[in-house]
Amino acid sequence: MADLNEANRLQQETALQKLLRRPEIGSFVVMIIIIVALAIASDGKAFNPLGLKNNIAIIAQYGIIATGAAVLMIAGEFDLSIGSMIGFAGMSMAMMLKWGLPFGLGEATPAAAFFITLAMTLGIGWVIGMIVVRSGLSSFIVTLAFLFFLRGVTEVCFRLINQSTQISGLQDFKLESWFADIMGGEVFGWFYDFWFALGGNLNRNGEQWVHGFDARFFWWIVIVCVAYFVLSRTQIGNWIYATGDNKEAARANGVPVDKVKVGLFMFTAFCATMFAACQVYDTNTSDAAKGNLMELFAIAIAVVGGTLMTGGFGSVLGVVFGAITVGLVANAVFFIPAIDGAWFRVFLGGILLAAVFANERIRKRITGGI
Amino acid sequence: MAEPYLRVENLVKRFGPFTALGGVDLEVFPGEVHCLLGDNGAGKSTLIKTLAGVHQPTEGKIYIEGKPVTFRSPRDASAAGIGTVYQDLALNPLMSVTRNFFMGRELTGPLGSLRMNEMNQIAHDEMLKIGIDFSDPTQAVGTMSGGQRQTLAIARAIYFGAKVLILDEPTSALGQRQQMGVLKTVKRVRARGDIAIIFITHNEIHSRLVGDRYTFLALGKSIGAGTAAEIGDKEMRRLMSGGAEMGDLKAELDAI
Repeated sequence: MADLNEANRLQQETALQKLLRRPEIGSFVVMIIIIVALAIASDGKAFNPLGLKNNIAIIAQYGIIATGAAVLMIAGEFDLSIGSMIGFAGMSMAMMLKWGLPFGLGEATPAAAFFITLAMTLGIGWVIGMIVVRSGLSSFIVTLAFLFFLRGVTEVCFRLINQSTQISGLQDFKLESWFADIMGGEVFGWFYDFWFALGGNLNRNGEQWVHGFDARFFWWIVIVCVAYFVLSRTQIGNWIYATGDNKEAARANGVPVDKVKVGLFMFTAFCATMFAACQVYDTNTSDAAKGNLMELFAIAIAVVGGTLMTGGFGSVLGVVFGAITVGLVANAVFFIPAIDGAWFRVFLGGILLAAVFANERIRKRITGGI
Repeated sequence: MAEPYLRVENLVKRFGPFTALGGVDLEVFPGEVHCLLGDNGAGKSTLIKTLAGVHQPTEGKIYIEGKPVTFRSPRDASAAGIGTVYQDLALNPLMSVTRNFFMGRELTGPLGSLRMNEMNQIAHDEMLKIGIDFSDPTQAVGTMSGGQRQTLAIARAIYFGAKVLILDEPTSALGQRQQMGVLKTVKRVRARGDIAIIFITHNEIHSRLVGDRYTFLALGKSIGAGTAAEIGDKEMRRLMSGGAEMGDLKAELDAI
């Protein structure tokens, strides 16, 4: 039968060929190369106990916002306000911790500061989403407006209330508040304990050197797992792909396209708030310039991880590899003092361009070259 | 004679001063293919969009199984069993066959998780019923041929309860072989006996191959209708060209 033959014209592939066609494969290979190169060039220092902790800290930071940016990009939209949202959320939390709750409601606990801030950032994410879906304007322009707007609001609030654009010298909330501890404390101590028990992880006095990873590592893992599950295994995931691929087709089949988009703008706002919370409760400081340029890193990592700029296709796992790659290179200057830190941006630019070409090839292969 | 599943009586649709449909009657019966023919601008699109609930009629009535109905939205029409397969098919090329099949109507388990194996099986079985054996329903729709995509869209509409299947020029923009594939699909759906098909086309031969009943539209009016037996080839050609005789057309051209 003619139709049967046509259906089978698609070449049958071996497991290896299937693996090579996965969207993550490019970013995976690059990641492995970077890990090996960095291990050799830094003489192993990049992956000693402290090096590993510091590397994972920045990787997790990038990973949290890149996951949000990638899922939104799969649904066909951009969010350029992520960086300013980080600054705004950090300002909001630190301000409440220093000056108390708004409207004279008394002292703020770390949990209260976080949840009030989260309510505000989710609200802003909702507003951004509603503007985008109602007006039909490009999210690029709408979120660019919020990039300036939020950064400005952050600075103005700092000057009006605090008379200075930074807050430092807050008490260490981690010591008393369990909430501050799960945001800014240490996690997975067993890993370093185990390393110590094996005879490694020693400082100069022969005591245990590093005691745990930064808490953001845990939050990154949580966000990645949830995003992966939702995208690949749930109805909402199917709606997200459908929305980004062909909005009208999705709508014609009853997918609530607008709700999906608004929800995802709120998700990027959530990721930005988690980024800020981990930073504030770790360092007990805040600064009006925090999160600057982070929206661009988030988008770059999403693309390096195999997410299509045009939406409809992407992989959370690829974004994990992308975050590891970019995080390691960003940090490399600390382990290899001989190189100029600006090479990081040269590298990022190059790999981004390569990734865009690679992704376009993947898209063409899937759609049969259209 | 059996009762028509869908009956349209004196349907009028005006957009401001412009009359797109000037009183059209239509009857479609289960297990039959009703071909809707007419030139560009004859009102075919307006008629099917009205049946699909996209437009509301200005005058006239639509009956489903003898009962008058009003469609306020495409959702209403779909709930009443009218499944429309538009030319763009409403498919997403980057997504798999199964994900397209269930788009917006996924089968879910706990936490909104997808019952993927079950959905793969249903998508495979439903497409097999109307003639395509897809070994791998996880392949992207972008890799399928135009005819296969058409089949997927039809299978989807049927699975989700279409009793009247409206096919909007399903054979245009396809190659010869794929056109035949789509016509075979139409025949298979017809053979089920419980689904009424409205087949919109420009193509006289295609409509001859599968049609049981014909309605010809020109300038928003029905200029002829009847069963395959009632309408001969010559009459068909005359109606296809908007009611003009071939000789008249020739004279018109010769005058230039």
